[in-house]
Formats: sequence, C-alpha cells, structure tokens
Amino acid sequence: MQRYRVRADVYLLRRGAGLLVVYALLLVVAVIMAMPLLWMLSTSLKDLVQALRVPTPANWIPKPAFWDNFPTAWNAAPFAIYFWNSFFLAVTTTVGDVITSIPAAYVLAKMKFLGRGFLLGLLLGTLMIPGQMLLVPSFILINRLGWYNTYWALIIPWTAGVFGIFLLRQFFKTIPDELWDSARIDGCHRLRYIFQIAVPLVRPGIATVALFKFVGSWNAFLWVIIMTDKVGLRTVPVGLRFFMMDIGTDYPRLMAAATMAIVPVLILFVFAQRQFIQGIARTGIK
Amino acid sequence: MKLPTLRQGRRFWWDTLEAYVYLLPTLAVLGLFTFYPFVNAFIYSVYDIRTRTVAGPVVHTTMDSTTWVTPLARGRIPEELADALLKRGVARDGLWVRLRQADRWVIKDEASAQEYIIVREGEEIRVHLATTGWAMESVGWDNFARVFRDPDFAKALLNTTIYVAVSVPTTLLLALLLATLLNRAVRGKALFRLASFLPYITPIVAITMVWAWIYDRNYGLLNYFLGTVAGWFGAEFNLINWLNDPRWTKPALIIMSVWRFMGYQALILLAGMQGIDREYYEAARVDGAGPLAVWRKITVPMVTPQMFFLLIISLIGSFKIFEEVLILLQGPGPQKSALTVVYYVFTKAFDSGHYGLASAASVILFAVIFALSLFQLTVVQKRVHYER
Repeated sequence: MQRYRVRADVYLLRRGAGLLVVYALLLVVAVIMAMPLLWMLSTSLKDLVQALRVPTPANWIPKPAFWDNFPTAWNAAPFAIYFWNSFFLAVTTTVGDVITSIPAAYVLAKMKFLGRGFLLGLLLGTLMIPGQMLLVPSFILINRLGWYNTYWALIIPWTAGVFGIFLLRQFFKTIPDELWDSARIDGCHRLRYIFQIAVPLVRPGIATVALFKFVGSWNAFLWVIIMTDKVGLRTVPVGLRFFMMDIGTDYPRLMAAATMAIVPVLILFVFAQRQFIQGIARTGIK
Repeated sequence: MKLPTLRQGRRFWWDTLEAYVYLLPTLAVLGLFTFYPFVNAFIYSVYDIRTRTVAGPVVHTTMDSTTWVTPLARGRIPEELADALLKRGVARDGLWVRLRQADRWVIKDEASAQEYIIVREGEEIRVHLATTGWAMESVGWDNFARVFRDPDFAKALLNTTIYVAVSVPTTLLLALLLATLLNRAVRGKALFRLASFLPYITPIVAITMVWAWIYDRNYGLLNYFLGTVAGWFGAEFNLINWLNDPRWTKPALIIMSVWRFMGYQALILLAGMQGIDREYYEAARVDGAGPLAVWRKITVPMVTPQMFFLLIISLIGSFKIFEEVLILLQGPGPQKSALTVVYYVFTKAFDSGHYGLASAASVILFAVIFALSLFQLTVVQKRVHYER
C-alpha cells in the first residue's frame, strides 16, 4: 500500500512536470501566433514617432493611445464603399451558395439516380483544379458576357461551391430514410421536405458552410482585381491594397486600416467559434 | 449497377429526372464558371490572344513629350492631359493609366468607360480616342515554346518549388508537434484554438500588410527580436533586409506561410488524435512502451489520413501563392527572387496582355499540380493507415 502511494506520487510529480513543459511550450506558440495581430493593434494606436521606437516590451503599449489613425485612414480612402461592397458580396454569394448547395447535397446524399457516381467524382475532381488556372479564361468569359466591372461578375460565379455540397452531404446522410418515407406518405413534396423538414435538422452544417463562404467572400481579392477596375466595386482587401500603394509606409495608419478589415471577421469568429471548429473537424475526415 | 425491376425502374427514372432538376443550379454555375473555363484554359494556350486597342480620332497633340512620359511611366495622369480632357467634360478623378508600354499608354475614364490611347513618336505626343476588342490567332505550340524558353518562367517555377518544398513539410511537421502538445494539455484549448485559427481566417491582404511591417529592416519586430536573442548569446546580428535582399524574400514568404497555416493544420490533426481509441494506448502501456514509442507507433500512424489530406491541400494551395508576393514585396521581389508561377501568369495576362501565353503557363502549373496529386494518391496514399 505504502509503496503504491509512493509510486503514484512519483508518477503524478513526473506527469505534473511534463504538463508544465507542455503548457510552457504551448504558451510560447500561442504568443507567437497572436503576436502579429497584437503588434498590428499596438501600432494602429501609435503616432508615427512612437511607432518608430525600438519595440521593447514597454513600448508595446501606446503611450498615450493615439486614436486618430482610425478616422484619418477611414477618410483617406472610400472605405465606406469598400466595406459596403464586401458586405454586400459576402451576403449575396453566401445566400446563393447555400440555396444551390442544399438541394444538390440532399440529392447526392439521399437519392439513387443515373450518373450519381459520375457526378460525385466530377465534383470531387473540381477540388483539384487550381482556381488560378481559370483566371485567364474566366476573365475572357466575363468580358464576353459583358459583365466586366459589374456586380454580376463578382456574385454569380460564386453562387455554387463544392465545399458546401460535400459538407452538407455528410449532414444529410445522417437523417434516417424513414423520415422521408413517412413524409411522402403524408403527401409532402420532396422540395418542401428538403427545405422544411431536412434543413432544420442540418442547421449546424448550414451555419458552418455559410460562415466559411462569408469569410471567403469577405477576403476576396484576386478575382475582384481582375474582373473590375472601378473604385466603386472594390472590396475591403482590394481597397487596402490601393490604400497601401497610396500612403506607402505610414505604418500606424496602414495598421489601423488592416485592423478595420480584420475586425468584422474577428467578431464573426468569436460569435460562431463552434461552427468554425466543426467545419475544421469535418474537413479532416475524408 | 444492378438493373432495377420495371416498377422500381419507373421510380428510378423519375428520381433521376427530379435529381437533375435539383442539381441544375449548381451544375449551371459550375459548368459555366468552372468546367467551361477549365476546357478553355487548354484551348487558349494554343492561341495568341490579345486585347487590341485601336486608335480612333486624335483629340490632342503636343510636342512637349518630356512632361508626359515621367508621370505616365509612374501611372499618373499628366497635367496637360487632365486639362485637355477636362475641356471635353471628362473629370480628372476617374482617369487612370490602364496600360503602360514604352511609347504607348492607354488611359481609361471610369465614368464613361471611354479609353484614350497616347502614342509617342519622337518628341510628338498624340492622344486618340480608342476602342478595345479581342483578337485571337492560332499559334500551335508557340506559347509553350516561348514559356519554356523564358528565363523568367524557369525562375518562377524554381522559386515556387523551393517555397512549396520548404513551407509544406515544415508547416506539417510543426503542426504535428503542436497537435501532440495540445493533445496532452487538459485546459486552455479554447484559447489556443482562437490563437491558431485567427491567422487562417483573417483577410490575407490585411495580414500580409502586417507582416510587411514586421519585416521592416530598421523598425520591424522580427529584426528586433532576432537581435535581442542574438544579444543574449553575445552573437553579432546584422539587420536582415527581409524584403529587399534576394536571399531573404523566400524565407520571409515561408515564415509567414508557416505562421498562417500551422495552427489550422494542428487543429485538424488534433481532431484526428482525439478520435484515437484509448485502448491502443493502454495496450501499449501494458506492453511497456515509452511515450516516444507510443507517439511514433500509435499517434502518428493513426493521424496519417489527416496528414495525407493536409499534404494534398497544402501542396495545391502553396503552388498558388500570389497575393502574399504582391502585397509583401509590391512586385516580384529584388532580382525576381520571389517571382512565382501565378505571379508570372498574372503579369503576363493582366499587365502585358499576353493572354494565350499566360494560359500556356497556367496549363503547365496545372500539369505540375496534377502530377503531384496523382503521385500522392497512388504512391503516398499506400502508406496511409486507414482504420477499417
């Protein structure tokens, strides 16, 4: 008995020491991961003189906090337009993507029909196509459609996506077939069944798809600079690039602008952490 | 496929019809904006495609070319041009230089979408009204031949390969270690999740701007940090010119990419590790296996499916690196040390207007990615351990 306790103590002690090392290492990594964003925040609250001081730990805290960078950055470029565009495009493409993905995912999860295997393969195959390869043909297509410099060019191509379909398909698969059988006996049309009965059951999946799509759209850059050249159509990232080209290395103001671009995503993440994590956990399982 | 009986058969065909109705929106969008451009990428690669800006009537002439060339070369509108166009009712704000060549510039007025072409002949400058259209001409394998002969493309391919070959395994290895640590930790996972997820979801343009500041030679955080660490060991540290020294641009891109994706990958691996059955560990402990052996023989093999998935997506993703280069270095970097394949495609198409050539380059990029993915799916996947 005595010996057992001693061994247990030693075990706990070693385990404790091990855990201490684990936590210390994790802390270091977490600090490194968070540092660029904290540094951004710190710089955005300094004036130019403070920003160019040696970044000793004491100089991380702006003294005094200089809030002017935010209004001056905001007014130095039409950021209101940029934010509106990003928001508008994120909402429209997200709604479009979710609406097209729901029936497609349901069909691929639950129905047996001719060409199902082929379609699944085809959709999976599109994940292997690097989007950058399509830039030139897409640019020519958009021009031929007469969509250059229009919202259409920024919305319609992004209203369908394979990621959402495959993720939702996994969720739909978990719904028992009996539910559809009984709904059908009650005379429910399939489309109504999908949207009124199946969709509420896979709400977490839809939230995840919508979140990833929203963030992806908010961050859209390359497609936008290729398909448009109007100030009025710039998204936040595109606007940021032009802002950077305009003001050069005025880092406090640049960091204020970067902070403004990141904050919406940050807020979204804080409120919807669970959906993000779920999306991640699901993508790993293939 | 097993043939359905007649009664089931009728239902099968109705279901097929219904299924395609539901799939129609998705297939229409993907068909038009993914499959069709995909096929076109190959077709366009054997064409010489250019937009041709055709000069129309002259609206302004001048002999004073020197005051025009300098601003135009920097993408700015010469004063005299702005004044001349203002007389035609064109506001200065909407004017910008769409195309810059040695003796030819195309100016566009955003409000009216009207283009003007400026031609320099010796001392004389003429401003024409202009219209732009597409011109296509079959050239066979010429584009490919030109791409392969272009030293810039070779450089782009090499740079991209170096970037991928270093950043992908480094990120994955660090993510694996990180996931192992996280798997050990009992508390604080939520906080860590936040810290590791943020780099992944923040807009790449914004975050790259932050890194440009971190990499600043004189005032940047990284040089200060390295200098401090070197100081602890009494070593001498010369400030690294991350963004202007051709030796350091690729490491700068790699460090940033490791930072961005390490946490995300660790979270995926962690999800895999938490799915491992406790029994394996207990069995190993009974057999007297040490922690390192347990990690090597159980933990790592059991997350190979996740590692394989990450390897594929990060390889494809890394080959597409572009925005980072554009924002961090504002160009291909000193001595084109950070010229990547997508950057090459982008400039060839959208700066120089050689769309066919750019298509050929992107087809080559696709071939490389495709071959690598195929290699992984056939050879590497055999070493992946799938349960059941």
